[in-house]
Amino acid sequence: MRYAEQVPRRSRSGRKMGAAAAATLIAMTMAACSGGGGGGGGDDEAGGAAAPSTIPELTEDPLTLSFIWFEWPPAQALEDFANAEYSKERPNVTVEVNTVPNANWHDAMFTQFAARQTDFDIAVLDSQHIGEAVTNGNILDLTDFIDENIDVDAYDPYLLAAYGQYPQAETGQRDEDASLYGLPLLGDTWTMIYRKDLIGDEPPATWDEMISVARQCQEDNPGVSGLAFHQANGSDAAAVTYNTVNGVYGGELWDSDERQIEGIINDEAGQKSMDVLVNEMKPLTATGSGNWFIDEVNAAVAQGKACIAFNWIAPIGGLLDPEQSTLGDTREEILDKLGFATLPTQDTDLVPLGGMGMHVSAYAPEDRQAEALNFMRWFQQPEIQKKWAEAGGVPARTDALNSPEFLDAAPYNQVFTDSVPRMRDMWNVPEYAQLIDIENTSVNAALNGVKGPEEALDDIATEQQDVLDSSGGGL
Amino acid sequence: MTTTAGHPVREAATAQPAPGRPPRLRDRRLAVAFISPAMLLLLTMSVFPLLWALYLSFTDYSATGNAPASFVGFANYAEILTSPEVHQRALTTLVYVVGAVGLQTVLGFGIAYLISRRTHGRGLLTTLFLVPMMLSPVVVGLFWRFMLDAQFGVVNSFLVSLGLEPVEWLTRQRTAMLSLIVVDTWQWTPFIMLIALAGLTAVPKYLYEAASIDRASEWFRFRNITLPLVWPLLLIAVMFRAIEAFRLFDLVYILTNGGPGSSTETLSFHVYKVAFLGFNTGTASAYGILMVLVVIVLAQLYLRYLNKLKEG
Repeated sequence: MRYAEQVPRRSRSGRKMGAAAAATLIAMTMAACSGGGGGGGGDDEAGGAAAPSTIPELTEDPLTLSFIWFEWPPAQALEDFANAEYSKERPNVTVEVNTVPNANWHDAMFTQFAARQTDFDIAVLDSQHIGEAVTNGNILDLTDFIDENIDVDAYDPYLLAAYGQYPQAETGQRDEDASLYGLPLLGDTWTMIYRKDLIGDEPPATWDEMISVARQCQEDNPGVSGLAFHQANGSDAAAVTYNTVNGVYGGELWDSDERQIEGIINDEAGQKSMDVLVNEMKPLTATGSGNWFIDEVNAAVAQGKACIAFNWIAPIGGLLDPEQSTLGDTREEILDKLGFATLPTQDTDLVPLGGMGMHVSAYAPEDRQAEALNFMRWFQQPEIQKKWAEAGGVPARTDALNSPEFLDAAPYNQVFTDSVPRMRDMWNVPEYAQLIDIENTSVNAALNGVKGPEEALDDIATEQQDVLDSSGGGL
Repeated sequence: MTTTAGHPVREAATAQPAPGRPPRLRDRRLAVAFISPAMLLLLTMSVFPLLWALYLSFTDYSATGNAPASFVGFANYAEILTSPEVHQRALTTLVYVVGAVGLQTVLGFGIAYLISRRTHGRGLLTTLFLVPMMLSPVVVGLFWRFMLDAQFGVVNSFLVSLGLEPVEWLTRQRTAMLSLIVVDTWQWTPFIMLIALAGLTAVPKYLYEAASIDRASEWFRFRNITLPLVWPLLLIAVMFRAIEAFRLFDLVYILTNGGPGSSTETLSFHVYKVAFLGFNTGTASAYGILMVLVVIVLAQLYLRYLNKLKEG
């Protein structure tokens, strides 16, 4: 009888366990739905909450203002600079610049945005990330704040637009009716780095001449490759290279009004650019350079393995460090061999727009959002911009760009100032991450012999058009 | 009816608590108390995410978007199953799994066989061989990336010192896949070796002694004694490795980033791109569910084969 009595007891216990498990699952489902995930979906801050026009009262309690950026020299420079200078105005504030590897940069920010909870207060976004962040309501609308606190006339209009405006501005312009979601942190573009001791003091003026000079230099100097540039399939490496050549040879990336890529990027100028890149430039690069990005190009220059190289300005400071270079024992010796110039022109004088802006996380606590706004106001002051230039940063204010503090700080800074009117950006749309991945993958495939140049370009056009047409949905 | 002869186990399980134990803590309640944390962990960390992913796979949900999820039926599944991109990644994954696991099995068993025949230093050798397996795949990927660098890598320096041409290990279609297979083999051959070694050690010695008395050749002993006895264990190791290799992500991410082009993009790497570049969470969930289903079906077929082998 005892056994018979045990059966219902065990069954009750089992049922209890089952019920508890089911209750747990239901509770988690409800929590997930109410948390904005899955079916819950909605978000009150869709389209981006607006920052106040005046800075709210700041806390006097100790506060850490957190940035998120990727790991490269300017990130450390910013943290050191901000803690040295901003603390003079706000001694209770510590600035922390958290970094992730470049390849994880987008994911690190947007997975936190997806969770509607960020461990950073200021996101340092690439100009092309703004569309995705604005559309999803991840960053604050700063239009009123900027109107009230920032002298917008002090900037080149396109620089201000590139690092803050959405919808995207026309190349070289700013739409004064459009909203601003960020302010410039670090300007950047490509510079041409050339070996004065191998090709002479005068840099080549046109793209065709540059290729010709690089070819001759490679032939004359065994062991030294004619060219070094970004070819990797991660981040935006290979894509920026193609886009640069595309711009120089008069190509267009898309028709932004019609959201049309097919037939535009792969038109005659586009095909010509891809042909130049794959069939004329690639043969002048080092063996196995098909996965090179910023660091590898720097290494090739520092070790004297390239006649002409192209790199972003912001991370090339190490090239002048004798500890990191085989080109000389002193900075002066290195500068005797290295020259820096704006990119050669061809059918146009376009250069790629790099750099990043500061954006306030919509999910940061209110006291830290207020501090972030105060930091941005402080950072855009003319004297602070000049100090930022002295500290190794690339400012965006026109007065700072033309100041001796900036121009004398590094031999390549003049290149940035001269390049500002020539800049062109890529697509600043919510589908940017997919568009850049498609282009990176196919350009990298063409550079490494997996696809022919024409096939690669046609694939880019088709796949990117599919992404735009489906608004980024699907595979 | 209260006899214990028919149900000794049940009787033991339902015995009264020992004197001094609080009456509330009966065995069953104790069992529930002990199991609950593990159950809770399983529910929150495995069951719920799986069910949630299953639900999302039938929607067009995007984790970063503000739009609510809409039910799309099997559209995500149909898109994945008919996509040429997915077919290409499936083929890449297959080549990788077959290449890596095949090489690891041959090498792992070979090394285990050689070690098992040694009487001195067996422990030290086994420990040394196990070192790669204990390293993080990210660390392994990073240092192999440096070693395989075409310009500055030690592998090419070695080749050049032998008078050979340097090889573009990571930037050519065939060598990039070969590099992935070699690096994975370097790291995971010890796993196969360890299991094979356990199997080899367990082979009864009297079988070899009997074979020796019959003057059986080395090859005969290997083919008719060693291999049949170790084979089932080896197949289990192969299954574990194949499942691991099927979901390879980290080495690809570090070593080739899927390149050149997309020639080393595996299915897992592609899922990552769908999930975190486009944040197409619904599609990525369906992709993940399909991958789980493939693994489950293949593992079931494999296990049935193993059972048949055991019965045979």
